[in-house]
Amino acid sequence: MKEIWTIIKREYRESVYKKSFIVLTLLTPLLMIAIGILPTLFFGFEEEKPVRVNIIDESNVVFDNMAKVLSDTLKNGSRKFILKKVSVPADLDSIIKDQRILIDEDKTDGLLYIPASILDSNKVDYYTKNVANFNLNYRVKEAVEKIVRNHRIYKSGLDPEYITKLTQSLELRTYKVIKGGEQQERGFGEEYFGTFIFVLILYMTLIFNGTSIMRSIILEKSTRIVEVLLSTTSAFRMMAGKILGQGFVGLTQYVIWAIFGITLVVYGNRVLPISNEYLNFAPSIFIYFVVFYVLGYFVYAILFSAIGAMVNTDQEGQQLAFPVIMLLVVPIMILGLVVINPDSTIVTTISLIPFFSPIIMFARINLSSPGVMEIGSSIALLIITIIFLIWLVSKIYRVGILMYGKRPNLPEIIKWMRIR
Amino acid sequence: MSILEVIGISKSFNGVKAVNDVSFKIESGQIHGILGPNGAGKTTTIRMIMNILAPDSGIIKLFNQSMDDKLKYKIGYLPEERGLYQKMKVKELIYFLAEMHRMDLFRAKEKCEYWLDKMQLSVKADSKIEELSKGMQQKIQIITTIIHEPELIILDEPFSGLDPVNVNLVKNVMVELKEQNKAIMLSTHMMDAAEKLCDEVIMINNGIKILDGNLERIRKQHGKRSIQLEFEGDGKFIKSSPMIKKYDYYGSYAEVQLNETYTANDLLKSLLDKVQIIQMRSQSSSLNEIFIELAEGGSRS
Repeated sequence: MKEIWTIIKREYRESVYKKSFIVLTLLTPLLMIAIGILPTLFFGFEEEKPVRVNIIDESNVVFDNMAKVLSDTLKNGSRKFILKKVSVPADLDSIIKDQRILIDEDKTDGLLYIPASILDSNKVDYYTKNVANFNLNYRVKEAVEKIVRNHRIYKSGLDPEYITKLTQSLELRTYKVIKGGEQQERGFGEEYFGTFIFVLILYMTLIFNGTSIMRSIILEKSTRIVEVLLSTTSAFRMMAGKILGQGFVGLTQYVIWAIFGITLVVYGNRVLPISNEYLNFAPSIFIYFVVFYVLGYFVYAILFSAIGAMVNTDQEGQQLAFPVIMLLVVPIMILGLVVINPDSTIVTTISLIPFFSPIIMFARINLSSPGVMEIGSSIALLIITIIFLIWLVSKIYRVGILMYGKRPNLPEIIKWMRIR
Repeated sequence: MSILEVIGISKSFNGVKAVNDVSFKIESGQIHGILGPNGAGKTTTIRMIMNILAPDSGIIKLFNQSMDDKLKYKIGYLPEERGLYQKMKVKELIYFLAEMHRMDLFRAKEKCEYWLDKMQLSVKADSKIEELSKGMQQKIQIITTIIHEPELIILDEPFSGLDPVNVNLVKNVMVELKEQNKAIMLSTHMMDAAEKLCDEVIMINNGIKILDGNLERIRKQHGKRSIQLEFEGDGKFIKSSPMIKKYDYYGSYAEVQLNETYTANDLLKSLLDKVQIIQMRSQSSSLNEIFIELAEGGSRS
């Protein structure tokens, strides 16, 4: 057993002193914050430029009120929307054509055509270069809608202000109920991004540490050091030493991140210029984070070791690694589904499948509160899978590391397993 | 007591017998050669001794105990497929492999210094392996094989890829270890190198042991002394001499094998007054020739 420890020490030293380890360990917390802050920044960001809108108003109802409704201002206090009335022409088509040319030449930003029939047809045309500017289009639509609605109410002899008061829309405030019936105010955005940070880190580190084991085994094969090591210990201990050694490297990283994360959750809102809604995690989540990483690491590290033992070059390794990486991509793809309904039958089922559970069960723990039984059985299934994989892969590994030349096919690998 | 005892081991790969019922013993203070052409089963035999491969049948005993992974540290094994961690420093790598052989660090440092000095590599102790020349790396590889002072040293094709200086160095190390009463197993297809070094030889061909024993005795039993003669005059009379076992006559040149009781001197005396001798050379057959003869004989029968 002493040899395993010696190998662990060597692997650990070699990885931890590498530049990539230091860079990844330091950059990931920054990435965590960045992903937390960026959405807030992006959504709050709008271009500081006035929008020039020409209006053809055949109804004679809209334009006069437009300036009052579209009263938005820029940061410097000047009006955001510069409205200009285009007199109602005799030849509508040709004037719209002229206006389109003006838009194309950037002389104006948009043309709003309000037909005379607006009160019945409910249809308004807006010509602009960028139809995808959701916020702007919505603002224009809202303004016209409000004017038309108020006009209709007014015409029917009622007081628009009174109606508005009666039909006020309401706001749905969502609270997350967690263990012990406590509540947290959270919404889809916070849930999705919060979970996404963790899941992304799990995904990246599982791939990174798994493939680095694979590459290190391929390197040991190609530098012909395998048999030198086998002269001191068994293939199984060699594999165990490698996986544990790299495992401790990952664990070191996670402990650093978890400490960082817990500190951020507890003290973050005092030092960071963002609201703490994105950092609103229970500290216990970091413990699950480490637990599911460690279990997921073993599943994937063992799979990647098998690949490393089977192939001779990095290229061959990458080809075979593809299906294994796909197993990690699946949870990322269905994450949206998990966030919307973390306790649906399908999500619950997937969260028990050992290849997906490190990410999906962890996401569910973060999103809802799955029962102790569910968490326990996903952990138990992971451990059973790990034991089975160790048994299976150690047979492949033992033969594979001494095989050079052609990559083995499936019947050959099955034959390897029968070798005593 | 034998250091290593191999009793009737066999191993098949895909139905082909790579090693077939091979037995031998390795004693301390001797260099044992395992000889045979490439693919004879030497490396497979060694891998079974090292417990890297499990034999299909047969027993391997090391220090009178059944071979086990726990005994590996008592052996110094230089595999044919060998290499080093290129990114590690020389010293660290040697300490690492010493520790893998359960050597304590203090002793490892001491021995490391001794061997680096002996191999004239002390200045490179803190260099990375990848910065060293091929020849230096080979020396390091040899140090890592013997640093832990094993009682049994197994060298699989130790000379392959070595430059002449390093070949000599390895030979000297082997002799030094032999003088320290270690048991050494040398597996090679280079018969001439084995001939100079080995006390005992085991010959393997197609997975079967065809010969085993003391090198001198084997030479006497299987080796032939042949004498090449070049002369002027009529040499026909030689054939009828009682000394002669085999005689090939080519006019002015002849190849002669003598009966065991006679020496080259006896033959020379009988020739002196009958023919004019131009050249006479006496040669004993090499291990290589013995091997070829035995291997051919084996395949014929």
